[in-house]
Amino acid sequence: MEGGKDAGIRRGLGSYFRLLGAFGRFSLNREMAFRGNFLMKVLLEVVWLGILLLFFHTIFRNTSRIEGWNEYQYLFFLGCYYALEGLIETLFLENCVEFGELVRTGNLDFFLLKPIDEQFLLSFRHIDWSTAPKILIGGALMGFGLWELAEPVTLARLGGFLVALASGIAMAYSFLLMLASTAIWMVRNQSLMELWWLFSSLMRYPRDIYEEPWAVLIQKVFTFLLPALLVVSVPAEAMVRILEPAILGWTICAGFMMLLASRWVFRKAIRSYRSASS
Amino acid sequence: MPVPSASRSGFAIEASHLCRTYRVGQKKAGLLASLRGLWKGETRTVEAVRDVSFQIGHGEMVAFLGPNGAGKTTTLKMLAGLVYPTSGTARVLGYTPWEREDSFRRQFSLVMGQKNQLWWDLPAADSFELHREIYSLDRARFDRTLGELVELFGVEKLTRQPVRELSLGERMKMELIASLLHEPGVLLLDEPTIGLDVVAQSTIQRCLREYNQRKGATIILTSHYMRDVEALCSRVLMIVQGALQYDGQLSGLLDRFGRKKLVRLQFEGAVPVGLDRFGECKITGPVAELNLEKSRVAQTLSAVVDMPGLVDLSVQDPPLEDVVAMAFGSGATQP
Repeated sequence: MEGGKDAGIRRGLGSYFRLLGAFGRFSLNREMAFRGNFLMKVLLEVVWLGILLLFFHTIFRNTSRIEGWNEYQYLFFLGCYYALEGLIETLFLENCVEFGELVRTGNLDFFLLKPIDEQFLLSFRHIDWSTAPKILIGGALMGFGLWELAEPVTLARLGGFLVALASGIAMAYSFLLMLASTAIWMVRNQSLMELWWLFSSLMRYPRDIYEEPWAVLIQKVFTFLLPALLVVSVPAEAMVRILEPAILGWTICAGFMMLLASRWVFRKAIRSYRSASS
Repeated sequence: MPVPSASRSGFAIEASHLCRTYRVGQKKAGLLASLRGLWKGETRTVEAVRDVSFQIGHGEMVAFLGPNGAGKTTTLKMLAGLVYPTSGTARVLGYTPWEREDSFRRQFSLVMGQKNQLWWDLPAADSFELHREIYSLDRARFDRTLGELVELFGVEKLTRQPVRELSLGERMKMELIASLLHEPGVLLLDEPTIGLDVVAQSTIQRCLREYNQRKGATIILTSHYMRDVEALCSRVLMIVQGALQYDGQLSGLLDRFGRKKLVRLQFEGAVPVGLDRFGECKITGPVAELNLEKSRVAQTLSAVVDMPGLVDLSVQDPPLEDVVAMAFGSGATQP
């Protein structure tokens, strides 16, 4: 299936960005048709964050550090997690979850017939704006954490943070895409959400909490095999703690490899698509 | 409409010995059998399409006929590049469909009456706009084509209404507009009028005919409505149990499988008794309908023409539906 490949070459990046803009515009139009739902989701996120902040504030009233993270460093970590998860949810989550439904109903047919890279079309076709405020909330938390820490943000830190963040997004997206692709063989893959929940639970806490001897195996597996622990920890460490070149290098490498692996799995899946009968 | 050099001199669509088999899971009834199936699933091989070959010229409108599950949609999906054949080859506008090259995908459309590709909660106009972006259509060309199509289908007032609020017929018109916006040279239609009322059906037929004439597009249609087939296609391909049973003119299908004729007799008063001696006879008021073998028509006519009270007489082909049903039946009995 080389159609997607030559699409990528011939169309040029500009047209993909324009298309992404169009997906964003039309998704926003759709979201505005259901304003009540949008406001409710935003409200829930704010309440949920409030509870989390209260919880961590309570912990940090009794201790100054958790595994080396002080309160404001941790706030930055939390903000980073929020922003990253918000971004994944806004761009990819709904599309990947709906992928199984497209396979089951045979509506995937239409997406495979468009003269454009199928992975791009299926990954970005709906932008879920109702989760976008999480990105802003996360950004604000990171800003607040940095402000309170009052340490200078060097160019190296900023660069390390951005590169690690991009790699983290690549890892999370690739994992989701691989899960979604399995729908082609399994048709019904409701375990997708549970597996994503596991992945995002692993992202949620700093990787240092797995330093205990009994948890080392978990840390190794989810650092080197399925690197969920790197997704948020590494960018946050790069910005507010120690920038370790080795782990940063591995994060970039893992992000890149997972992107390639997910594209391979996706293409393999599309190749085996049988199309539901009418 | 750009046509690649490979197809310039030849056919728009060529299929050669297409076969497609599927392995389908078999599940016996009962819990125990289900549990056993977890360890060792039984499968059965189904030949969805068997050695199907045909050629379709540029600008032709052809109907695929066949009972449910005959392999029409699978053949259509192979031509669209959605399903890989188990063996055999196909060329559509000079391309191998399942390679799904971009330049191929720009030149054809598949419309499925039972599926919907427009954004449900948005007006169709927004979906059209998205289509423009996906196909990178030039703005002027897009506006011109959209204007023409909206006028052709008579849906000027509906394009700004959310798709979910449109009637089935209106929605189908929008689906067709969306699939014609990039002016495809090949149009594959899988039951485009399913569930529509007669008025919507005939509008869609008219629009498809006009599109075919204006752009010289090649159209393949599957439909269970013989009205669609009669209105649009002079040539039919009949597929039964995965194999091509007939390829020719629609009228030829009537000659080959329509072994009977309908002789309609209208009388001034009551229908005289004893008409059933000629064959199957149905009486409704002053009208009698005799369903006769073709070979017996002349003989019967000469016998009834002088009957007292006969005011009108006509000989008709049986309804196309009946002929097709008979053809499906005879195809199914062939190996």
